[in-house]
Amino acid sequence: MRYDLQQERVISVREYAIRRLRGERFPTQTLWPLRGVSFDVRAGESFGIVGRNGAGKSTLLKVIAGIVPPTRGRVRVHGHLSPLLELGAGFDHELTGRENIQLYGTLLGLRRKHLRDRVAAIADFAELTPFIDVPLKNYSSGMVARLAFAIATDSDPDILIVDEVLSVGDAPFQRKCEERLARFRARGVTVLLVTHDLHLLTETCSRAVLLEAGASCIVGAAEEIAARYAERTGG
Amino acid sequence: MDASGAAPGIYERTPPVWSGPGAMGRYFDLLHSLVSRAIKQRYKRSVLGFAWTMLNPLFTMVILTVVFSAVFGAIVPNYPLFVIIGLLAWNLFSLGSTQGLASVVDSGPLIRKVAVPKAMFPLAAVGANLVNFLLSLVPLALVMLVMRVEITVAILWVPVGVLLIGLFTLGIALALATLNVFFRDVRYFYEAGLLAWFYGTPIFYPIDVLSPRARAVLQWNPLYVLVEVFRTPLYAGTAPAPGIVAAAALEAGAMALLGWWIFRRYQARFVDYI
Repeated sequence: MRYDLQQERVISVREYAIRRLRGERFPTQTLWPLRGVSFDVRAGESFGIVGRNGAGKSTLLKVIAGIVPPTRGRVRVHGHLSPLLELGAGFDHELTGRENIQLYGTLLGLRRKHLRDRVAAIADFAELTPFIDVPLKNYSSGMVARLAFAIATDSDPDILIVDEVLSVGDAPFQRKCEERLARFRARGVTVLLVTHDLHLLTETCSRAVLLEAGASCIVGAAEEIAARYAERTGG
Repeated sequence: MDASGAAPGIYERTPPVWSGPGAMGRYFDLLHSLVSRAIKQRYKRSVLGFAWTMLNPLFTMVILTVVFSAVFGAIVPNYPLFVIIGLLAWNLFSLGSTQGLASVVDSGPLIRKVAVPKAMFPLAAVGANLVNFLLSLVPLALVMLVMRVEITVAILWVPVGVLLIGLFTLGIALALATLNVFFRDVRYFYEAGLLAWFYGTPIFYPIDVLSPRARAVLQWNPLYVLVEVFRTPLYAGTAPAPGIVAAAALEAGAMALLGWWIFRRYQARFVDYI
């Protein structure tokens, strides 16, 4: 398993006027949220992604997850990828927990039969067994986040993308999440971690990339990147 | 690696999720989830639930019969039956296409966060309306029973008609869903257009009442032949004319291909506009 994120990516933001139907077009403004970013992530490695707000971290994750196509360059992903981006994006709050497991799971490409078999385990991990047939609108936000985390990590991923979601739920549940992630790492799952927490970065990751708004990137050992980042943010 | 190169970006994933072996099953399961969500959403918090799908065409049929039977009743035997068959076909098309149109934009938060085949949303909208359509066959059967209409072997044409209407609806839904991503007011234009389309399609009147000139124009309305393929075997108990079936199949197939082509061409850019 190997990552190859080379080259560039553009999102051209085109502002159309309200009068767009007349065919009038506003000048095109081109932004490059990510450009010239290139790095490899080795199989089984925990790799950190740091950068200030607007440095392109989210865009990078979306490109890796296949949500937005790269404008230029090449992204290669080998293995089953489970994105823990914005947990619960696929949830429907009118549906029950069980129904949402089916919906969210199939959106990630899992089979209904497999999910049916996993409902009990997912509900158990999320500590939601008594509420699994209750509509999500009656859940607290912590319960929703727990359910999302439980579904996304239930499938056996080779690559896990973690976007600062560890702050899910209360302290005991956070510990459970960290344990699960630690187990994944021990099993050889590749983890891509986006974080502002330099302590967490040096603790969990061996290497990291530092992104800078739309321009360069530096790849190096986690400690080195953490130091550079701290320097840059004046920390 | 030259920055000036205009070569488009490449995204490769092995094993792929939405292509390659096993992908069909994943598509099917996703469709299943989305269709059942749409159906549940529709019936949650309504007292009569599924009964509405059956009562609605009956109500509309009664209203149209009361209003128009004085005009068309004399030339159209079993006028209520004539109306309800047309209405069911129309509802399948109009509901499927309006919901399909809105489906991509409405799923915007999802499309921005999950790598999911986007064509599934219009497909699910049309699929959910096909399921509702099957339920509304119950009141149709009731009307046929009450009016003692003979059921003939021609009824085998009914699924063909439904399939063609569904295919045409899907084509329209894919095309309009694409347009709606870039121009949000497409929805309102389409709703206004649908009203005109309804009156321009022989749903509650027979095509024979029109002047030859109006009839010549109406030949160009693709829904006319599509409704005919569905209506003739139920209403007249005979197979639809081969020419009509051929035209309907051609139109449905062409629309589906056109819609798919438009959708595919622009779907990579959806994320930037939603």
